[in-house]
Amino acid sequence: MSVDAKMAWRNLWRNPRRTILTVAAIAFACLLLIFMLSWQFGSYEAMINAAVKIHTGHLQVQAKGYQEKQSIRQVVPDPQAVAKILAKAPGVSHYTFRSDAFSLVSSKQRTYGVLVVGIEPEKEAQVSTLKKIISRGSYLLAGDKNGALLGHLLAKNLQVGLGDEVTVLGQGRDGSIAATVLKVKGIYRSGMDQFDRSSLQISLQNFDDTYTMMGAVHEVVAVCRSLDAVPQAKDFVAAKLTGLPPKHPLVALDWDQLMPGLLQGIKIDMISGLIFYFLLLLVVAFSILNTFLMSIFERMHEFGVLMALGTTPGRLTKLVLLESTALTMVGVAAGLVLGCAVTWYFQDQGIALTGASDILRQYGLPHRMYPQLSLLSALLGPAAVLAITFLTALYPALKIRRLSPLKALSYV
Amino acid sequence: MPKRLLNIPLVILTLFLALAGRAQAQDAQAVVQGAFDYMRDKASVCLAEMTIHRPDWQRTMTLKAWTKGQTDSIFYILSPPKDEGNGTLKKDREMWMYNPKVNRVIKLPPSMMSQAWMGSDFSNNDLSKTDSLIKDYNHSLMGTETAGGKKVYVIKSMPKPQAPVIWGMQKLKIREDHLFIYQGFFDEDLKLVKELDFLDIKMMGGKLYPTNWKMKKAGAKDSYTVVFYKELEFKPTLPDSLFTLEALKNPRR
Repeated sequence: MSVDAKMAWRNLWRNPRRTILTVAAIAFACLLLIFMLSWQFGSYEAMINAAVKIHTGHLQVQAKGYQEKQSIRQVVPDPQAVAKILAKAPGVSHYTFRSDAFSLVSSKQRTYGVLVVGIEPEKEAQVSTLKKIISRGSYLLAGDKNGALLGHLLAKNLQVGLGDEVTVLGQGRDGSIAATVLKVKGIYRSGMDQFDRSSLQISLQNFDDTYTMMGAVHEVVAVCRSLDAVPQAKDFVAAKLTGLPPKHPLVALDWDQLMPGLLQGIKIDMISGLIFYFLLLLVVAFSILNTFLMSIFERMHEFGVLMALGTTPGRLTKLVLLESTALTMVGVAAGLVLGCAVTWYFQDQGIALTGASDILRQYGLPHRMYPQLSLLSALLGPAAVLAITFLTALYPALKIRRLSPLKALSYV
Repeated sequence: MPKRLLNIPLVILTLFLALAGRAQAQDAQAVVQGAFDYMRDKASVCLAEMTIHRPDWQRTMTLKAWTKGQTDSIFYILSPPKDEGNGTLKKDREMWMYNPKVNRVIKLPPSMMSQAWMGSDFSNNDLSKTDSLIKDYNHSLMGTETAGGKKVYVIKSMPKPQAPVIWGMQKLKIREDHLFIYQGFFDEDLKLVKELDFLDIKMMGGKLYPTNWKMKKAGAKDSYTVVFYKELEFKPTLPDSLFTLEALKNPRR
């Protein structure tokens, strides 16, 4: 350790209480930033996964233009060919076929416009949470002839219970009138009111018969092992899709394209988070500036003596900067350790948000949330604190450069 | 959700069927009223073909329809065989549909009224609110043209402030002998959404009548819906019992 570093370190501990308080402030800011960022990333992942698990999946193959128009004639004519591609795609863990038709669904009393979805019951259970969220009755069996699953709000609106009949009236793929009578087999609660109010699931086979689909489907839905695996899987599938007959162009869409609102919501949240972090950093910066200015003003006389003895202003600046850097480093290191420890603890245990469960449910979020500690969320906050404290320390350090020994000596 | 929705096809045609005295209309309001009365009748029976055309797809249906007064109509699909017997009843602003396969009558909810019928370019609102053109709009004369040696009034129809309509404006062309020849539908920004041409004016049911109605969406190439009248007969009246839910469930041919 050089003389300068030794002096800086000793200077710091001339006023242990102030140093410890400043270190604590820096550490607390780091801890807060680490935890908040991890929390944000964790809740985004939860939001995306919740939305992905209940309807869209990570990746879908559809007819080109289906996402915009959702016309029943825009089909994937040969779903098996797409299935072969998905089976080979890297990162894709499960896939299933789905068909959708917006139809009138009516009970004895009421009629509503509802999205009727044809699903493959067994494969659907691997892709979405549908099977797990059945709250009454039972799940569909493969090839179920007339069973239907519906959301609890739709069931309430239609005033039907288990075993009751509902009539579906829609338009088939060939333009003919599609009509069928279904029996309510299961009622589910996804937690997303919009979904629970406006969708009804039947078996894909039943859908095919009713809507004259002739083997075609509307969506091939896939889930990947993790969110990070999606881009690679999408590129692979998109490349392979061009090899299929060009008469019916197909496209691969990821969850962001399927739910554009979700990412926008995340971006808005991100920005409000950033404003908060900025304010936090500002507070930290001012408290550190205060500490440094204090420590310099009370040592003016001392600086004057040092200069009179021949110490160059540059060396003094270096000394002061070393002091501030050491102070910040200690604070950031402590904050990093504490922040990671706290975040890691809650990542393991989760945080129950019992009071806000209604709001969370609207977004389809579980009421136990888990922060997500990553390299980025752990280092971004401390790095920002480090940068801003260094900048703050520059001001008093540069002030010393312009100090004349005479003035400093007479400074009280 | 821009999904296609079932609804009623022929009410629009049948609604308009009419006999009327020759109005000596001068102002726009009277011209529209006159054309409307001419289209309508006390009652009518017709047989029509509806063809939905898309670039890659086409479908034709045959329909039989009865209308009475200003608001009541009932119709059935005769072909294709798969859809035979599907019926629709419209009274005032309410609509019911009947499907023989499931043997059920379904009442159409109000939220479905702006949906297209069977993938056609006609919507439920086109069908159920046609007489709202008289009740819900203020008409003004934009000018006159000549077509086929006859004078044609060009009329701008703006919705009244409180009117429950979805269009921002309609543009009508009405020939001096009370025949509609064009109807354009505009949104709130006064952008053309779709247009209806009344073509092939012939003697039918005892008077001149456009027998070919072509509705096309603005900006959509090669996509349109055509209604072609095969038979049309005007009657002094039809029994009320024809326009009931019971009658809808027990179709007669």
